[in-house]
Amino acid sequence: MLSLPLLKQSIKSNSVMWGSMTGVMTLLCVQFSMLDMTRSMLFTIFYGMMTTILPGIYVLVTSNKLLASQVDRGSMAYVLATPTKRTTVTFTQAFYLVNSLIAMFGILTLAHLACNAAKPITLGELGFMGLQGDLTSKMIMQVNLSALMVCIALAAVCFMFSGIFSSTKYSIGLSGTFIGVSILANMLAMFGNLGVEGLDKFKYLTVCTFYDYNSVLTGGNEWITKMIFPAAIALVAFGLGELVFKKKDLPL
Amino acid sequence: MIKVDSLTHDYGHGRGVFDVSFEVSGGETLGFLGPNGAGKSTTMRHLMGFSKPQKGSLSISGLDCTGKSSEIMKTVGYLPGEVALPEGLSGRQFIKMMQDMRGIKNEKRTSELLERFELDPSGSVKRMSIGEKRKLAVVTAFMSDPDILLLDEPTSGLDPLMQEVFIDFIREEKGRGKTILLSSHIFAEVEALCDRIAIIKEGRLVSTVDAADIRHGLHNIMTVGFENQKDFNEFGKAGLDFKLRDRKTLKCSVIVDDEDINKFISAVKKFRLKSFDEHSVTLEEYFMHFYKKEKSFGGVSYA
Repeated sequence: MLSLPLLKQSIKSNSVMWGSMTGVMTLLCVQFSMLDMTRSMLFTIFYGMMTTILPGIYVLVTSNKLLASQVDRGSMAYVLATPTKRTTVTFTQAFYLVNSLIAMFGILTLAHLACNAAKPITLGELGFMGLQGDLTSKMIMQVNLSALMVCIALAAVCFMFSGIFSSTKYSIGLSGTFIGVSILANMLAMFGNLGVEGLDKFKYLTVCTFYDYNSVLTGGNEWITKMIFPAAIALVAFGLGELVFKKKDLPL
Repeated sequence: MIKVDSLTHDYGHGRGVFDVSFEVSGGETLGFLGPNGAGKSTTMRHLMGFSKPQKGSLSISGLDCTGKSSEIMKTVGYLPGEVALPEGLSGRQFIKMMQDMRGIKNEKRTSELLERFELDPSGSVKRMSIGEKRKLAVVTAFMSDPDILLLDEPTSGLDPLMQEVFIDFIREEKGRGKTILLSSHIFAEVEALCDRIAIIKEGRLVSTVDAADIRHGLHNIMTVGFENQKDFNEFGKAGLDFKLRDRKTLKCSVIVDDEDINKFISAVKKFRLKSFDEHSVTLEEYFMHFYKKEKSFGGVSYA
């Protein structure tokens, strides 16, 4: 099922993109949580936008590189000229994609936990006026888990396009449209939440709606049930991508 | 060992392969000759299981190429026609990756191959010249010492010296009993290596010939020139296989197969000749005969 040499190659060839996105996201988190000027916007700006935009760019570029680009360039021929099944290839690449996101959010969570321990903040200061108490470690982990699940769904859809299309042109084009619409709609819906009437309808256009930090901070359980949808989307999309990639003619 | 049975895959616009059938038996080297876009690589891709045939079937060692390709790859070495190596690796890392994917523990053959093809794999693949990339592909295709070799235009991109090294190498592999399918558009390498040659044109197999026949010369073409019109006319009644008779220059071209050589000589003996040319059809000419639109065959036009 899993090809270790291929996994190693995927880690190596995507390390720069992964490293820079993880680095930027972690640094932004440290900045938002430590600097007095930006602390109050930790959730609206950082967790509201950055945790979907930055991983979104990462999964867009990376999922294309994992399948479609290798088919388009022809280098997939070397992989498939070894006793490696196509399903092993897709499983390994999907495994890399999901785990690289887990590692990305893992590092981010650890950094935020450290910052929060060094400089705690109350929920009131974060803009949630009605709420009592500090931002807890548990909340930080739950918020990140919720964001991670949505990012896995974004990754799965991009991966599906990468598996379906043999040309980077289409794979990047459709994935890009999907990521762009998801993120933009999420941002517009957020303005809707902040009081701009009508814009809240945009939440129906994006997977990011299932990422619900409000529910975590208010101590609700909604965020857990909302994770079922991105998980289902991810399963279906990864499955479809694998299936098409297994069946299709590869122009190698 | 390798069996292609009425393989058909139509890509539209007249491109593709149509009803291609051939077999390569164990230990045999089959040359697959054809110009660019004739369907050589397409056939290879089907053998590799990258594409599925619309009609027909392909098998290697009795295993179906569409469903069992990962199984088949255990005994197959493939050299792709295009060198597109994975991104972001050094030559050494690429070799290591391919060794791991094939489960090769023994470094000996790999280092022998590197030495033989004079390749230094330490640099980044990106900075390598086409020739170096090709050598890298050659090394990775052969390092597991596979029994069956599918080579798609293997010498393109290699310099003439390396082409020679490569041809010598394949000859040795052949001597070790390997089954080889070699596609090429270079006559010399096919002529030097192959037991049989299949010629493909516009997706259809047009001819399969024994290389031994070609080395000997498929046909001889004799061109005789006469001193006068009378002899020229007289010779025309000799019942030979005339392919051209030119009244202005008083020259006749005759295709003479080996068994007709005495008949030809006794016919010619009766006349005083002005000129005599003998010409054997080489593989190149034989090949060109299938390709050229005007159907010129060894300088003799067929009209």
